[in-house]
Formats: sequence, structure tokens, C-alpha cells
Amino acid sequence: MTSKIVIAVTAAMALAAPALAQDLKIGASLPMTGNFSVSGEKHQQGYALCANLLNADGGLLGRKIDLVVSDNRSDNATAISQYERFINVNAVEAVFGTFSSRLTFPVASILSRYGMVHPIPAGGALRIYTQGYEGLYYLQPNAAEYVGSSLRDMIRDRIAAADAPKTAVIVWADDFFANAVAAGFLGQQVMDPANGSLVADLAPGYLADSGIEVLMQQQWPEEGFNDWLNLANSIKNTKAELIIGLTASAEEASQLTRALQTVRADPKMVYLSQGTQSEYYEAVGNASNGVLVHTSWHPNAPFVGVLGSKPFSNADFIAAFQAEYGFMPDEDSAIPFAVCQTIAQAIEATGSTDNAKLDAWLGARTAAEPVKTILGDFVWDERGLPVGKPFLMAQWQNNGELNFVYPTNAFPGTADLVYPKNGWQ
Amino acid sequence: MEQIIQVTILGIGLGGVFALMGSGLSLVFGVMRIVNLAHPSLIIAGAFTAYWGFRLWGIDPLVMLSVATLLLAAIGVLLYKIFFERNAKSATYSEMTVLLTFAIAMIVEGALGAMFSNTQRVTSPSYATDAFFLGDIFIPKGQLYAGMVSMLIIGLLAAFLKYSRLGYAIRATTQNRDAAALLGVNVNMVGLMSFAIGIGLAGAAGALTSFVFSFFPAKHWEWIAVLMSLVVMGGMGSIMGTVVASFALSIVAAFVGAYVGSTWSTMTFFLALFLVLLFRPQGLFGEKPELL
Repeated sequence: MTSKIVIAVTAAMALAAPALAQDLKIGASLPMTGNFSVSGEKHQQGYALCANLLNADGGLLGRKIDLVVSDNRSDNATAISQYERFINVNAVEAVFGTFSSRLTFPVASILSRYGMVHPIPAGGALRIYTQGYEGLYYLQPNAAEYVGSSLRDMIRDRIAAADAPKTAVIVWADDFFANAVAAGFLGQQVMDPANGSLVADLAPGYLADSGIEVLMQQQWPEEGFNDWLNLANSIKNTKAELIIGLTASAEEASQLTRALQTVRADPKMVYLSQGTQSEYYEAVGNASNGVLVHTSWHPNAPFVGVLGSKPFSNADFIAAFQAEYGFMPDEDSAIPFAVCQTIAQAIEATGSTDNAKLDAWLGARTAAEPVKTILGDFVWDERGLPVGKPFLMAQWQNNGELNFVYPTNAFPGTADLVYPKNGWQ
Repeated sequence: MEQIIQVTILGIGLGGVFALMGSGLSLVFGVMRIVNLAHPSLIIAGAFTAYWGFRLWGIDPLVMLSVATLLLAAIGVLLYKIFFERNAKSATYSEMTVLLTFAIAMIVEGALGAMFSNTQRVTSPSYATDAFFLGDIFIPKGQLYAGMVSMLIIGLLAAFLKYSRLGYAIRATTQNRDAAALLGVNVNMVGLMSFAIGIGLAGAAGALTSFVFSFFPAKHWEWIAVLMSLVVMGGMGSIMGTVVASFALSIVAAFVGAYVGSTWSTMTFFLALFLVLLFRPQGLFGEKPELL
């Protein structure tokens, strides 16, 4: 009898051992090919680096992280089906969000239905957060509609009123994210696409708020637009002092910048919604001097987050990234890294991968007990939008330096604002 | 008036680039009846060739054009031998090539992404962002040079097709493959050479577009519809038709962009495709278009 018990216990332990050591699967559907592939690849690098660092330190809850990444080809339907597959076939215990508002919007519906916590690296359109979905946690400072407030505040605080730009051109991609940023600048109403109800009234808009007259506003199509010189020529002909280019990708930012350089437009200030990436500088060179871009991350920001229950600073992230990949990261890798930090902290704090518990813990964060990431501390409102975090304003200066210029009191190292922009060389 | 002249110049500049991008596609269809959806992805491969030549050794993309042309022509030979030759006599050859080239496009995209990453690239010789200014009117040097070289290449291609023995054979095969074979033309060799030339033109177009547009492996999806609209409007298989359609549509698109709005300029190409298919499906250049 005793021997039978011993055999049974041994067998049970043998069966249980693999289960105890079972990897902790986390799924991420990313646009590794297609129009968002430039950012998708960087997101994968950010997620993978974080998982590797955690695994090198013993994983989470004593289990190795198995990061399951699928290429959604920048396609909405594919992204949806891949997250469903993660949950129903791969049996992932947590997910990381995808890139872009366009892909995040439908994915949010699916993940909410399955009760999964949905940490979002790039999905700033306000409409995502007003559908009543549970478990959303956005890892950038604010919704895209409010990005323009940083430019408005910077102009107010860093430029004498008499010298500030008085006229503007605003051009933007017909893209979920860029449309949202434009709505904020122009003071438009944001409507719910499902039922036509009002989500937010952004009047009078950040440009009107700054006393800036809009001389021209124009969209370009989301895909297949090639006529950049024509657009730049129209912009130049307005003689506007401020050019706002709401590009949906670094590629569009470089196309627009090169076109403005070619036609020799001569504004006092150029602000783009993308362009912090090294590829942008490589494409436009020193024409980038003076170009302003908002960003969620900056290498000089002295934020100290947590990874694997230990302090992990922004500088640590940069060093680890360079050691892993051999080049400097940009925000397209830093933000997903912070997404991974967020989920890791929730899992460690709750000692569980039960998404209801993770959601409850993340939703209960306070300023005193925030999630701590390399992007700074995060606390979210009931919609899943961060509370009290301004975007950083960065400016390309001195032939290739992306310097942090606003806000001025956040941390040391704020550079002088170059204004007016001095040509394109 | 200045604005009209300016917009026309910008339209012509864009048309010159599109003309070369579409010519290889047209040639391959004209001779082989291959609807080559992989053509834009091979243009991207040519652009990467020029980019790395410029990045690593500082070789001007206009010089790298010859390297890109030869490299892509060699790839064309391989693709033809592996994928197209054995099925050339199939009754459903054209239909089959649509699926086949779609798959090739995805393979090329994946291979380029694996080799060079999905990062956006653009070649930046000094003229790429410079312009000649005549008063308030400017002529962008990048588009001007790309357009001039494009026209030179198309001119050489036209001369080759019109005056060389192989050119005769290619045109004969285009007109009637069976009759050409009966008269002693080695239609398999003609097919191989035409395909190689067509893909070589993609390489040349890639080198030129490398400093006009930024690119990344997946960029080809944005170009295929525009190029198809040019080829269909010109008449499938007519290089001259493709050139005329490129300039015509680019100029119209430039005016639409300047006077209606940028959102609609790209729509011009698709609207033209729609109208041509509706009212003149054989294209501008007749029932049975000639290569020239």
C-alpha cells in the first residue's frame, strides 16, 4: 500500500513538474509588415528586450516568459483574429497591445470581451477610450486630441508674445491618430463612430486658443500619397509662420520635411507629430534642425522604473537596448518596453496572471503608488488614460541632436528653444 | 499663371518617374501575359540596391542604376526559370500569374525585411532636395534628373525593340506568340529575355525612386494600384501607352492636389482606372496594343 502511495505521489509530482515550470505566455500582434512595419519592428524589439531581461532574472512568478509575437500585416482583421488565437489557441495569460490607433480600436473590443487587460503602446485616439471597454491602460501621456496642448503651452511659455507665430498651416494624414491630433488643434467635435454621439467638443482648439490664424488646412490620403512637392508648394504659398504636419509615420515626416526643404518654405516654426526616430534624421539630415516633435520618451529623461522588482532606469534601458541590438532606441521601442514593465509589475504585485486581478490592481494605482516605468510614473483614469502627464516637446538641434525643450520644469537638461527656425540646412 | 506652370512642372516630374516604374510592368505583360504584381516589390529591391551603394560607398544612385538594373535582371532570369517557364503554355497562364506574382511579392517583401529590416530608407544625394529656381517657379532637381534618365532609358528601350533582331522577335511574340514560333522565333528565349528586361527596368526605376520617395519593404503595396492604373489606361502591354498615361494622370493629379486637395490627388489614378475599365477597357491605345 505504501509503495503504491509513493508511486502515485511520484507520478503526480512528475506530472506536476512540467506544469509548475510551464512558460508564461504573453501574446502581441504587431504590424511587422505592411504600412506600420517600421514601428512594428521596433515595438517587437522593445517587448523582446523586456522579456529577455525578465527571463535573465528568473522570469515572472518563477516562470519563464514566452513572448508570442504574430505579424498582423498592418491589417485590422488579422490583428483581431491573432488576439483571438492567442487567447483561444495559444492560451496566453496576458497580452501586449499593438501599434497604431487604427489597429488598437478594433482590438480593444475583442480583448474587452475576453476580459483581458489591454496595455496600449500606441492608440491615442480618444474614441478608443470612450466605448466603455474594460481593462484599457494607455502608456503614452495623453489622448491624441490633447497633444496640441503641449505646443500651445510651449509657445506661450518659451516665446515672447510679440514674436510668437500668428499664422499657421495644418496638414495631416487621413489617419486615425493624425485626425485626432488635428481635431484638437482645430477645435473640432469628436464623434463616436458607432452611434454618432458626441465624445468631446474640443472648441475653440489649441490654435485659436493661441491666437493663431489658420491659413490652410488639408489632409492627404492615408496610403499611396506621393505628391509631397505639390503639397509643400501650397504650404509655402501661404507664407504661414507655423507649419503643423501631422504625419502618421516617420516616413511621412521625412517626406514632408524633404519636400518643404526642396521648395524652400520659410516658416518660423515647424512641428511634426512624428519624427523622433533616427530614421527621420537619416532621411532629412540637417534639414531637421529646428523641427519640433512631441514625444513620450526622451533619452535624457531621468525616470526610474521597476523591472523584476528592482529599480530599472531609463539609462539602464538605453544601455540594455544598445547591448542587445547595437543601436540607440527611440520611443517606438521605449513605449512597448514600458507596456511590458506595466504588466510585469501587475503580475508580480498580484502574484497572479488572473486578468481580473491585474485589472483591479492597475486601476487602483495612485500618485503615491503608481506603475513605475522608463517613461515615468503612470496612474490612469477610469477610461484608461494617464492622469497628469504632459507630452514632452523635443527639437532637432545642432545637426542631429534631439533635445528636450518643454516642459521646462520637469527635469534637468532642458535645452534652449531654437526659434525662429533658420532655413533647412 | 505661375501657379499653373508650377503645378504642370510638378506633374511632369512625377510622371517621368512613374513612366519608368510602369514600363517594365507593361513590357512583361505585353510579351508574356504575366500580370506581375511583384513588380513594385522588385522596384523596392532596386531602391535598396541604390541605397546601400550610396550608404556604404557614397556611390550616386544614378550610377548605382546600372548595378540595380543588372542585378534585378539576373533575379528576373531566376524568377522566370523557376516560376514561369514551365507554365507558359497553360490556358490559364495569365490568371495563374496573378496569384503567383502576388506570392512572389510577399516573398520579396519578407526577404527584404529580413535582410535590411523594415526601416524606412531614402537615398540623399544633394540634388534630391534641391531645385532650380526661375523666379518664383522651381524645378525640383531630383524629379528632373529622375525623369530625364527615365525618358532616356525608355528611349533606348524603344530603339532596342524597334531596330534590334531581338526587338523584332519580342514584338513579333507580343503580336502573335504561335505565329512567331512557327516563323522560327525562339519564344521561350524571347520570354526569358523580355522578363529579364522588364525586371531590370524595375531595378532602374528603383534606383531613381530611391531619392524621390522614401521606401521600405512593404511600400510596394502602395504603388501597385497606381502602376496598374497607368498600365491599364495606356493599354495593357503598350509601353508608349504607359508613358502617355503616366504623364497625363500625374499632371491631372497634380492639378487636383493643388486646386481640390491632396486627399483627392491619389484618387485621380483610381478614378481613371475605373473610367477606363468602364468605357474603354482596352485602354487608350487600341484593341490590341503594340509595345510601341
